[in-house]
Amino acid sequence: MDLVDGNLPRRQVLKAAVAVGGASALSACLDLGDSEPVPTGDPNAKPSRQHAWREYIRHDEHGNSQLPKHQILLYINFDGNGQPSTDTRSTLERALTVLDRAYEWSHEGLLHSIAYSPSYFERFDQPFPENVELPQPRALSPFESPRFDTQDAVVHLASDRADVVLEAEQALRGEQDQANGVSVDARLTDVATIESRRTGFVGAGLPAEHQDAAGIPDSRPVPEASPLFMGFEAGFRGNQATEDYVTIQDGPFAGATTKVIANLRQRLEDWYDEQSSEDRVMEMFSPGHAENDLVEGVGSNLGSNSGIDQFVDDIEADARDHGRVGHAQKAARANRDADGNVKLLRRHFESTDDIGSDQKVASLHFPSLQRRIVDFEDVRRAMNGTDLTEVTPAIRQRVNNGILEYIFVRRRGNFLVPPRRYRAVPKPRPESYS
Amino acid sequence: MNRRALLQAGAALTGSAALAGCMGLFETRPIGIPPIPEDRPDAIYIPSHVEGMKMSGMATQGDYAFGLMYSYAHRFWNVNGDSVSLTEIADEDDVHLMASVWDPETMTVLPDTGLSAEIYQGDSLVTQEAIYPMLSQPMGFHYGSNFGLNGDGEYTVKLSVGAMSTRRSGAFQGRFSEPTTVEIPFEYSQQAKEEIMFKRMEDKTATPGAVDPMEMEMMPDSLAPSESDLPGTVIGSGMSNDAKFVVTVLETPPAGIDDDGQYVAVSARSRYNRMILPAMGLEGTLSKGSETVYEGEFTRTLDPNLNYHYGAVVDGVESGDELSLRVTVQPQTARHEGYETSFGGLMGGMDDVTITVE
Repeated sequence: MDLVDGNLPRRQVLKAAVAVGGASALSACLDLGDSEPVPTGDPNAKPSRQHAWREYIRHDEHGNSQLPKHQILLYINFDGNGQPSTDTRSTLERALTVLDRAYEWSHEGLLHSIAYSPSYFERFDQPFPENVELPQPRALSPFESPRFDTQDAVVHLASDRADVVLEAEQALRGEQDQANGVSVDARLTDVATIESRRTGFVGAGLPAEHQDAAGIPDSRPVPEASPLFMGFEAGFRGNQATEDYVTIQDGPFAGATTKVIANLRQRLEDWYDEQSSEDRVMEMFSPGHAENDLVEGVGSNLGSNSGIDQFVDDIEADARDHGRVGHAQKAARANRDADGNVKLLRRHFESTDDIGSDQKVASLHFPSLQRRIVDFEDVRRAMNGTDLTEVTPAIRQRVNNGILEYIFVRRRGNFLVPPRRYRAVPKPRPESYS
Repeated sequence: MNRRALLQAGAALTGSAALAGCMGLFETRPIGIPPIPEDRPDAIYIPSHVEGMKMSGMATQGDYAFGLMYSYAHRFWNVNGDSVSLTEIADEDDVHLMASVWDPETMTVLPDTGLSAEIYQGDSLVTQEAIYPMLSQPMGFHYGSNFGLNGDGEYTVKLSVGAMSTRRSGAFQGRFSEPTTVEIPFEYSQQAKEEIMFKRMEDKTATPGAVDPMEMEMMPDSLAPSESDLPGTVIGSGMSNDAKFVVTVLETPPAGIDDDGQYVAVSARSRYNRMILPAMGLEGTLSKGSETVYEGEFTRTLDPNLNYHYGAVVDGVESGDELSLRVTVQPQTARHEGYETSFGGLMGGMDDVTITVE
């Protein structure tokens, strides 16, 4: 794509620039971007949790979080084997501090984090504290065989400003001397190699504008109002865990959380062309949502809660009566604790990445935060609906079984997001640094 | 047989003449496909036309063997619960791609797995989708879908089978429990496709009956065992909308089914050509006079001896008992023309089958 093609809508250029990356993309962005200055940051004013977003991003009129529009994931490997040196630690900390100084911690500035994989922690001959579990990623359905992301760590950059995520990345790569006026005196790439770069976008308008990707029918069915390719809002406040809930409360990693990041390919031809909007509501939410006409358009009318909890108990009856079950309905079965609290905090965003190739496909990066990885695994297994295939043959492994027919998991990685104070190459017992 | 030998055997079959032997005369494909017969009966019927197919290749991996075939794009009917809906051929559809999955040890067709296909051209993904189980008179039971391609060329098809959730018994216990993916090369040219047999059925169209299945060498067919080959004692049979239920009783359940009692197995197959009818919801009542001996589900089960069947453990079956079978969900397989009205289908209605034990 020619980034300076004057005929392209601004929004499309910004997204394309993030996907392409590099200096020319950044400059294309700067030409088109907000003329508003980007607020700078104060390292001492950052929240203690790296995953603290909620208070620092936009909310809609119902209080639902509006995720930053532009996001980049950099999967990295630290240079050398064995335990990272103290030099590595101080260089990485300085590189991240550049971002802290350069940008306010907000959607107008930059939200950023670094999270570490089980493979990284294997560099240390030391167990985790008892309340931290970080297993290697694994296949979670009887029909998937994803590739596992076992790089050392993943850096996540998020902002409503495309130019900000691009500039922050250029700073980490050492390709900019300054970031938002702040001098870049240390680089991520001094101590690590970027093994995989992934990008995406979320929010009303962006998916509609980028639906010229494999997996989306030519009829351009994605509604302008939809924040996601599948045509519905997601992540209603009442159906998300709070940041407090997903945060490890005690021990040396108090303030941390775990993060599972999957990448899914979407294949939405049949989703849009074979199904009516009622069918889609049934498969995304529940048959009860369709019967009671609960969802208008992209679902903004649901307010701050999809209302899924009232349909969870009906799921076997729905399977028998409708020959279909809903995605949200299945997942919710495992996504509540004994007190009814939601366990997962999902922050998925769309992409046209086809990791490892240059073609544009409808894909989805799916970061989920939870206190324990096993919470995510339980929800994913509930979403498989394998038990429901036994209730009636109308529910098949992937067909009539929520949205499983349209999503194909291609990658999965598990990570620990340490609290800010231990964000630079932590040991499994991070207090041992101090 | 190793994979290479299987592939060679498959390649040897690609001449359409090899397939046409059992089909009688064939002709080059006319431009138009005959319309759906207006006067089709609520029963299995001879379709307006039949088409041959070509073998692309085979592969074996773990517990699964796969065969990949293709033909002209087809219209077919999708079945979702009670709803049966026509999928017309889309302009961009180039082929009907078919896959068969079977156990390489027993050559038993696996009719109730999840299957998805990815088509690659080099490293580039052309398309990916979950493909549906289907019943076709000439092609038998297969997993299939219409696909659009990027013209003539070399493609690779990745077929991924999911772990089976159907109950398995006997030597099938614990098998087919892992997902597996194979890659099969797929060479496509429109000209080669146009050489595939196409035959109009003319006056026979829409009359009761079925065309014979085409046999593919090296690949098992999807036929239910003949009555004489079923283990146990066959106690009777009955017909429901051209689905034939043959009921056999085993003195003890197959290994892996832990209840005590006799095992009543219902083998469901199509009238005329004995094709397995999988993925059906079936309940039954066994009565001895006014006493109910068993009432409940007949569970979808795959067994090396009984093949795919619906089974229940009962206290005991005696001469004079009455077994009443009720279809709660019609076979959840898509249908090619000639099968879309039977076994429930477009007009619904699978009558109860009542058997008095001989």
